[in-house]
Amino acid sequence: MTSASRPNKPKVRSFRTKLLAAMMLVVSGLMALALYLAQRHVAAAAQSNLQQNFQAELLSLDKVRELRNATLAERCGTLASRPRIHAALEDDALDLLYPSANDELRDLMETAQPSQSERFLRAKFYRFLDPAGEVLPPPNPKDVGELSLKAERQLTLKRLPETQQIGYIVETPDATDEIVDEIVAAPIFSTDTGDVISALVVGFKPFELIGKAAGAGMKSGIWLNGQLHMPSLSKSSQAALGSEIAKAITNSDRVQSNFRVNVDNAPQLLFYKRLNPTSLFPPAYEICVYPLADSMAQLHRLRWQIGSVGALLLLGGFVASQFVAARLSLPVEKLAVDSEKDRAQRKRAEAALASTSEELKRSARYSADASHQLKSPVTVLRVGVEKLLAREDFKPDVYEELSALLHQTHRLTGVIDDLLLLSRMDAGHLQIASRSVNVSQLVDEWLDDLGALPDSPDVKIEKEFPAGLFVAGEKRYTSLIVQNLLENARKYNRPGGRIRVRAHSNARDVVLTVGNTGRTIPPDENIFERFHHSSTPSVASGHGIGLNLARQLARLHGGNLRLVRSENDWTEFEVLFLAANGINAVA
Amino acid sequence: MRRLAGFNTLVALLPISVLAQATVEGRVELPKSHSAPVQAKRYEIVTRGGVLSTQPPLAVVYLDGSFPRRSSSPVKVEQKDLTFIPALLPIQVGTKVEFPNLDDTYHNIFSYSPAKRFDLGRYRPDERPIPSEIFNRPGLVTLRCDIHEHMRGLILVLNTPYFVMTDTAGRFRLSELPAGRYTLKAWINSRTTREKPVDLKNGQTLHVDFP
Repeated sequence: MTSASRPNKPKVRSFRTKLLAAMMLVVSGLMALALYLAQRHVAAAAQSNLQQNFQAELLSLDKVRELRNATLAERCGTLASRPRIHAALEDDALDLLYPSANDELRDLMETAQPSQSERFLRAKFYRFLDPAGEVLPPPNPKDVGELSLKAERQLTLKRLPETQQIGYIVETPDATDEIVDEIVAAPIFSTDTGDVISALVVGFKPFELIGKAAGAGMKSGIWLNGQLHMPSLSKSSQAALGSEIAKAITNSDRVQSNFRVNVDNAPQLLFYKRLNPTSLFPPAYEICVYPLADSMAQLHRLRWQIGSVGALLLLGGFVASQFVAARLSLPVEKLAVDSEKDRAQRKRAEAALASTSEELKRSARYSADASHQLKSPVTVLRVGVEKLLAREDFKPDVYEELSALLHQTHRLTGVIDDLLLLSRMDAGHLQIASRSVNVSQLVDEWLDDLGALPDSPDVKIEKEFPAGLFVAGEKRYTSLIVQNLLENARKYNRPGGRIRVRAHSNARDVVLTVGNTGRTIPPDENIFERFHHSSTPSVASGHGIGLNLARQLARLHGGNLRLVRSENDWTEFEVLFLAANGINAVA
Repeated sequence: MRRLAGFNTLVALLPISVLAQATVEGRVELPKSHSAPVQAKRYEIVTRGGVLSTQPPLAVVYLDGSFPRRSSSPVKVEQKDLTFIPALLPIQVGTKVEFPNLDDTYHNIFSYSPAKRFDLGRYRPDERPIPSEIFNRPGLVTLRCDIHEHMRGLILVLNTPYFVMTDTAGRFRLSELPAGRYTLKAWINSRTTREKPVDLKNGQTLHVDFP
């Protein structure tokens, strides 16, 4: 035991190392997975958070804008119902339009401190469009908000709008400054005809996103006509970002989207949304840039947290694995010892098997030799007895004796032949030259022979098989099987009994059953054993290898031989042959 | 109609020298009226596609040319039941038009038309003197009320004293016309004025139809 376990010590140690390594692998794998998932989650959460913020901001702006535009629409409706506005527009008195509207729109332009609720209606300028969509020049621009000619030109539309249109224009008060103004063009419908007779275009300071929810650093601007107007960025950054947005907008038809950008080497998340979908004015987009520094820092923190947790886990795992490995390696150690024992046992068994096989071979060889050694003296003996029988000078009782002797020599030859065959089979030397054998014919022949035997008891023979049943096999061995069964059926029969031979075939097999009346075989008796002798005394005698031989031969042919039943004065054997290929039609 | 009837009586009573003057009569093909017939003497100004006309359609036929200004007494455009009566008034240049308010409410008659811009301001029914304007430039003047946005009236200021309104069938008769070659015009709406040259001879009655 101790000597067996000693060489296993290093093995156990290496098992422990392997276990440890596996544990470390698992822990670090889990850690990497957790890190990856957490990273993704943080990134996605940051993005959706910012997106929500962006949407919420825009939504609140939309609300204010809606309110303002509704107020404007109402104002335009009031304007349209003004006879003076009608008169100015319809009676060829456009010069009187602005003075006529002045009263109505005065509060739009009022410079006095507006109330909180009216602040959104604080216009920077307003203009009327004529029926061709051109700006009607105001007689006194100071009253309606001054605009450069370039800015005023951006107010024109190809035609008068039927609905409110939101647009954006760029005003450049000086060479460096750029101001984006939001404009709303509201149609003025004639109260007489319902036609659009003019449009009022009002300019506002664009609403600004506050971005308080997203923390500091959020920048917002407006993208218009391929250019980004985001005063908080440098000109070059605005230009670079503007072209990126232009690319994104031309590449997709989406009204809003987002993507990652780098502004001044800092990662940012950029959102854009069309401010004036379906407007007759050029498309404008609200742009929001959120710095990702916060979420990056968060990610960084998270990475450290997960890393340290992982390290702790690994440490704990290391300690635990020491215990576990110790616990686990105990049975492994035992297993190693056991397997060592098993191996020794197996070696012994193999040696035993080898010697048995050798013995078996030797015995088979011996039996073959013995048969040969026996055969020649028996032949000599038989020839001698036959010569004696041929003489005529003996007393009649001598002849009787000699006949009996001759009969015994015949039996002896039979036994020796069987033994020879068996020994050849045992040594694995018997080769079957398989042909198709007409088993029906074989049975018929043997039954004929049986009837011709001198000591044949009075038995009735029943045949129930079709002519021309072919089996695959070597004729002499097939014949031997049939002969054995039929002889037994005759031998162990009772006077006045019967033998029934039946055969049938299916596509694969031919089944031959031989039944006979007479003494039955007790169930505990192994009749297929070699040199078997019946426990019950019997008149019939056998040398005890017939059935064994027949079964071995049947199995060698790919079939089998078995006792089907033996009771109530009836014993029935069944032998299974392989059907010869394609010869037996289904019977 | 009363005016036309007046003309007829006048013609019947005039001495021979007056009768020696030329007369034009005929018919103006008026646009089909799609609306249901309105009560006699009540017609209104409608705008269709920026074109002002009377409903039911009426035309003003006048002899174009430069004639000495004939002094004429002031004419009236009343505001009654929130409408102008008459809705269409042809006058000769220089005529004074009074705008009496016969309603129980304020009116504020004004015009932005290039031919005459004026604003009478808000005035009560019993405003005295009756607010009035003198129309010195020929052209179409659209009358509006700043308080009642639907109110429309037209004053057709003409250079000539020879004008008449057709009846609703488009029939007209212009008499006491001077002999000579002129252009006879038919104002149908703010955008359409048809014209035909006429050669008027004393004592003759010319028949002119505007298809």
